[in-house]
Amino acid sequence: MNAPLRSRVMTHIVLILVGLACVMPLLFSLKISLEPSRYAFQTPSWVWHDPTLEHYFEVVQRQDLLLPNWFVNSLFVSSTIVVFQLLVVTSAAYAFARLTFPGRNALFLVLLFTIMVPSQVTMIPVYTTIREFKLLDNYLGLILPAMANVFGLFMIRQFFLGIPRDFEEAAMIDGAGRWRTWLVIMVPQVKAGLVALAILTFLGTWNDLFWPLIVMNKLEMRTLPVGLTVLNGSYGTERALVMAGAFFAIVPALVLYGIFQKRIIQGSMLSGLGGR
Amino acid sequence: MTRAKTWRTGGYVAGNYAFILPFLAFFLVFTAVPIVQAVVMSLHDWPILAKKHPFIGLGNFSKLMADEIWWQALRNTLWFAFLAAGSITVFSLFVSLQLHKPGRARSLYRFFFYVPVVLSVAAMGIVVGWAFNTQFGLVNALLTPLGIEPINWLGEKELVIPTLAMATLWWGFGGPMLIYLAGLQGIPKQVYEAAEIDGASRRQTTWKITLPLMTPSIFFVLVTQVIAHIQVFGQSYLITGGGPGRESYTSIYYLYQTAWRYYRMGYGAAIAVTLAAIILVITLAQFWWNRRQSPVEY
Repeated sequence: MNAPLRSRVMTHIVLILVGLACVMPLLFSLKISLEPSRYAFQTPSWVWHDPTLEHYFEVVQRQDLLLPNWFVNSLFVSSTIVVFQLLVVTSAAYAFARLTFPGRNALFLVLLFTIMVPSQVTMIPVYTTIREFKLLDNYLGLILPAMANVFGLFMIRQFFLGIPRDFEEAAMIDGAGRWRTWLVIMVPQVKAGLVALAILTFLGTWNDLFWPLIVMNKLEMRTLPVGLTVLNGSYGTERALVMAGAFFAIVPALVLYGIFQKRIIQGSMLSGLGGR
Repeated sequence: MTRAKTWRTGGYVAGNYAFILPFLAFFLVFTAVPIVQAVVMSLHDWPILAKKHPFIGLGNFSKLMADEIWWQALRNTLWFAFLAAGSITVFSLFVSLQLHKPGRARSLYRFFFYVPVVLSVAAMGIVVGWAFNTQFGLVNALLTPLGIEPINWLGEKELVIPTLAMATLWWGFGGPMLIYLAGLQGIPKQVYEAAEIDGASRRQTTWKITLPLMTPSIFFVLVTQVIAHIQVFGQSYLITGGGPGRESYTSIYYLYQTAWRYYRMGYGAAIAVTLAAIILVITLAQFWWNRRQSPVEY
């Protein structure tokens, strides 16, 4: 074996091992959720015993869990946040990229400063505000604080800055107003950025634990991740059931990732937001 | 063009504000004002149900300095952040270097490496809690054939934080890997061609050319990862409940319990503000250290 070939084989062996490490825990968890309960308390084996969907039916039907509610809550909150955040962020990003108004630069500096402040600092005051507005156990308690996404604003602004000015000037000469120019001419050109932001925001909200854990206390108002902590806490001994519940959260995220793989990877590369 | 001019000047300015107004309103109510409020609250005794919130100056902070639980949580947190951020920074760099070589399977590998990243911390916690189970977990099952006795990963005082960091490495290296891949794509090919003409070996090319040119990416990943993992909560909340004892109790966990189990909002705000200050100091220290390294240019 000559040197380059050997090193290429080594590279692939290493990469395959890393890949196996990434997916094996998930595949074995899936297997546990699809087997009768007793196998969850045996040493993991390569054999798939007596395939069954019983845990999936049980976890959906349990009246002390309300998993269907959690699923719908997560879906509703995540999609609502995506739609409205995109509107709020896209118009502001355009203003910061192209329009002038007094205080623009000062405001931009303030935004830059606040991204250095960890989100936990604002959580207690935002919680007391939400509580005063009587928005605990209310979807708005999750939706409203998620609107002003500063990272998203920076990202979309960057996309707007990349568009040649000729487009807008042509639109203005044709007599289009600001809002029409923004919506009809500019927004379609940053579609790639908007799709990336939409997916990252959706996944981020879908997966968020801390804030919904604080705001949603009623069993029927919980989101999936919060519900999963309840499930894991109270039914830790029924591992197959817990795993089945977890896959209700995992599968939509994986499907989204499967469909939009390229967008997610591009978006993460462009924005540096892919990490945690 | 007259119209174009009026857009950016004079009387039309009020209309421009309309574009940022919704964002600004949400930003003020849910970000800017709360930052100030947090500092104010940290200077008060603020039980959530009380009508009066007496000003106590730095009382919360001096209590915090004498709070043993806080110090233990902070030690655990910093140890965890060091292990998680350090291992992710190095390991994702290693993986991206392997991936950057040409080959058809590259995007397939990349696809699988990013899979754990799309898990919520809740799902990750459930999977990891089982995988590191002493009796029935996957990790011990894989180690047993190698002659290694079952290890109590999550129950041993010295092991619990490294184990949670290992799980976090598994969960999170995919993101930084993408950032490194973007950085590697940005290195001009001519640099490598020149090195090849000069007869540099592959190892020399990696150590003397690629890594120095990747310094900005490495630094970015390190800084963002440290910030992210100092804020660790879900792993210990779900997997260990802070245990054994308080060995995996973290700062944010303590904040959570103070503010939302005991509803002591003033003390909670003091914890949050202190933690933010610690994050800021560590970040500035990293910038200072980075500036002392000589910059690389090509």
